[in-house]
Amino acid sequence: MSAHSHADGKLPHEPEKATLEGRNKVLGFWLFLGGETVLFGTLFSAFLALRHQVGEGNPTGQELFQLPLVALATFLLLTSSLTSVFAIQAMHRQQTKQLISWLVITVLLGLGFLILEIYEFYHYVHEGHGFTTSAFSSSFYTLVGFHGAHVLFGICWISLLIGQLMKKGLTVITAPKVYVSAMYWHFIDVVWVFIFTVVYLMGKVG
Amino acid sequence: MTIKNRHSVFDCRRIFFLIGGLEAILIRIQLWKPLNNFVSADMFNELLTMHGTTMIFLAAMPLLFALMNAIIPLQIGARDVAFPFLNSLGFWTFLFGGLLLNVSWFTGGAPDAGWTSYVPLAGTTYSGDHGVDYYVIGLQIAGIGTLLGGINFMATIINMRAPGMSFMRMPMFTWTVFITSALILFAFPALTVGLAALMFDRLFDANFFNPANGGNTILWEHIFWIFGHPEVYILILPAFGIISEVVCTFSRKRLFGYSSMVFATMLIGFLGFMVWAHHMFTTGLGPVANALFSIATMLIAVPTGIKIFNWIFTMWGGSIRFTTASLFAIGFIPTFVMGGVTGVMLAAAPADFQYHDSYFVVAHFHYVIVGGLIMGIFAGLHYWWPKMFGRMLNETIGKITFVTFFIGFHMTFFVQHFLGLLGMPRRIWTYLDGLGFNGLNLISTIGAILMGIGTVAFLINIVITAAKPRNAADDPWEDGRTLEWAISSPAPEYNFAQTPLVRGYDALWKEKMDGNKGMTPAEPLGSIHMPSPSILPFIMSVGLFIAGFGFMYHNYYIGAAGLIIMFACMVIRSVKDDHGFHIEPDELQGKGVKA
Amino acid sequence: MAADNHTLTEERPRRHRLEGPQKHVIAFIFSVVLTLLAFALVMSGEMNETFIYIMLVTMAILQVIIQMAFWMHMKDRGHLFPIIGILAVPSSHLPVSLWHFIGFGGKQPIHN
Repeated sequence: MSAHSHADGKLPHEPEKATLEGRNKVLGFWLFLGGETVLFGTLFSAFLALRHQVGEGNPTGQELFQLPLVALATFLLLTSSLTSVFAIQAMHRQQTKQLISWLVITVLLGLGFLILEIYEFYHYVHEGHGFTTSAFSSSFYTLVGFHGAHVLFGICWISLLIGQLMKKGLTVITAPKVYVSAMYWHFIDVVWVFIFTVVYLMGKVG
Repeated sequence: MTIKNRHSVFDCRRIFFLIGGLEAILIRIQLWKPLNNFVSADMFNELLTMHGTTMIFLAAMPLLFALMNAIIPLQIGARDVAFPFLNSLGFWTFLFGGLLLNVSWFTGGAPDAGWTSYVPLAGTTYSGDHGVDYYVIGLQIAGIGTLLGGINFMATIINMRAPGMSFMRMPMFTWTVFITSALILFAFPALTVGLAALMFDRLFDANFFNPANGGNTILWEHIFWIFGHPEVYILILPAFGIISEVVCTFSRKRLFGYSSMVFATMLIGFLGFMVWAHHMFTTGLGPVANALFSIATMLIAVPTGIKIFNWIFTMWGGSIRFTTASLFAIGFIPTFVMGGVTGVMLAAAPADFQYHDSYFVVAHFHYVIVGGLIMGIFAGLHYWWPKMFGRMLNETIGKITFVTFFIGFHMTFFVQHFLGLLGMPRRIWTYLDGLGFNGLNLISTIGAILMGIGTVAFLINIVITAAKPRNAADDPWEDGRTLEWAISSPAPEYNFAQTPLVRGYDALWKEKMDGNKGMTPAEPLGSIHMPSPSILPFIMSVGLFIAGFGFMYHNYYIGAAGLIIMFACMVIRSVKDDHGFHIEPDELQGKGVKA
Repeated sequence: MAADNHTLTEERPRRHRLEGPQKHVIAFIFSVVLTLLAFALVMSGEMNETFIYIMLVTMAILQVIIQMAFWMHMKDRGHLFPIIGILAVPSSHLPVSLWHFIGFGGKQPIHN
């Protein structure tokens, strides 16, 4: 192990859990994700309750959704989840440079996902599927939009952490932040698994 | 504006309680005689909506949070909560959410669709002004604070316990706060979504609850009550915990059936999520659903009954002292039983068709919330006041508070059962003469004024006490059983100069029984690390407050500016490391005494 | 509890082997395959709707379990099943109940 970035020497093996503060942060974040699960569970409920309420003459999900685009978005997000695991592995090996590169790749993939989603929404609005069109459209944009906002937040957050890593290096203070942001990123990916299943695939079936 | 806001913030929460109480008294004055014209019908709707909303979200929960903040770290032998910054943020978001809600009085009308804010009444068609917008955005902001508080207490209780403080040695109050925090965590996000959906409907013309465009009004009821029912248990469980502590201390006995208490609490928390549709029996979910929710609701009576019996058995054969706290706890038990019994009556779906939306329901939930929770809070305040402020409350005035409040409470709400059975609907502005409602309503109003007198007596007590010297002993009740009574009153900033070693349940009592003077320390005296105070939580909450106004009045630049303020604070918080400061051992002695 | 929250506390005795990327790549491949299968199932069409729904949801749950086990580092401490239980129950019981009450399985709106 040659890549020591921390001036004080070697970090503990799991630097994210080396301090009480770090352990609190990881536990607190798990709890927060529990709350987020309920948040998305309720959003899914609302969407499921309203997804057939399309209204006269408005495009249905079956007509709107383009699966190849969704598949591409799914692939990007899934890959970004893998790269964020690699980032955490690099962190555990204390290779700050690799850690930063994996995080950069994660952010870029997330950005790609977000661009696809914005393009998708733009396209739908042109097809006459606006936020206020029907109960289906309102609940669709709210559910997928909440997820998109989470992705956007994650991108900003991880970018900020990359900056901190470059400035402060990997320490027992920055490590829990990176770890927790990776948890958040996985969670976003897990939510997306249900979105492409429930919103897009089930919507395509009818 | 320190990070550790546990003592100073108490006042704001009490003010919301007083506002809610004032609204209640105005409601009762309007109803004291038939065809009264004390307030207009519109004003009455606003009063009853704001009374419910204020009492639940801005008075009851924050008062509980204040107690939790002060007591939980002490009871588990911790220096502080796990996330002091979030603690402070939670307080400020709560305060600004509450302020936003109450600003509505001065900007053309408070929300008037009831605290449940059912659609379509709360939709733009029937509530066209900004009243309900204030409800939606104010509660959304205040809800952030509650959620953060829940996470904070869970993490604190899991990670910060002193050596030897295993889960099954935790004081009952800590246990109930733990379960309540879990309920907050799983219930509040549902409200977040419901409020967001209603906000989108009202501000951005979405169609969640607009049947004309395919929306579904029943959806709101489901979302609201999947949050709303656990909310009831979020409120009452900590009160159960307080009562357990007070009953033990003033009976000089160990809590009867401690482990059954713990499991009963868990069971109530679990079942609390399975019963929300009992608020919707008359909605038309069908006989199967009604039957299932009916049975699930009645099941809750079992663990609750366990608790009631445990308290009685704790007192049985104990040498009971009738201090004010003890009186409130003892008064709590029969009162809460009555609320529980009417709860089981309401849980019977066919009977509920008769009780629904009548004063019987009003009587029921005031018995559990005022008779349960507020009595519990009063007991807790009188019990822990010396630990929080270093001064004993006056016992004589305390007893006057108890007697007026207790009698006033039963006068107000006992007769409302019969008003309901006679057919008086809830939430009506006035009633006709000759329906048989006159006498009972008059009694109820007199009772409400008596409760008001009781509350004023409590305020006088606080003022008188504040003028006295800080001379409360470490263990002012002399029979303290738990860790908070092992340290000075009020608790020093760092709580424990040395983390205590816990050797059993009722940690301090065990040391007393073994003839020790105090707790055995688990670490040598050393310097204590403290977090720095931060102004960021305040600024973040101001940002949210501004953003709320911006969106409400469709001024998106102001809305965006508010959000930018909030996110900027988050960035600053992330980038700037908080190294905190240290309190050195030689500073500890002097500080420990006066603090 | 250490007085200084930033000082290192003593580490608990735990296995500290550094994992290679292989397991995570396998989890990734599993996820991709499950995703492709789901998309293929829908694109092929011609099948019973209920059957497709059940398959889709099953594959989604399977994928999430795999991802949580491998990527959210939960399998290490035996936390996987408790956490899934804690998270799945509260988050799924509202959707499942609404299925019954509002009837979103059917295409016809029940209300209005």
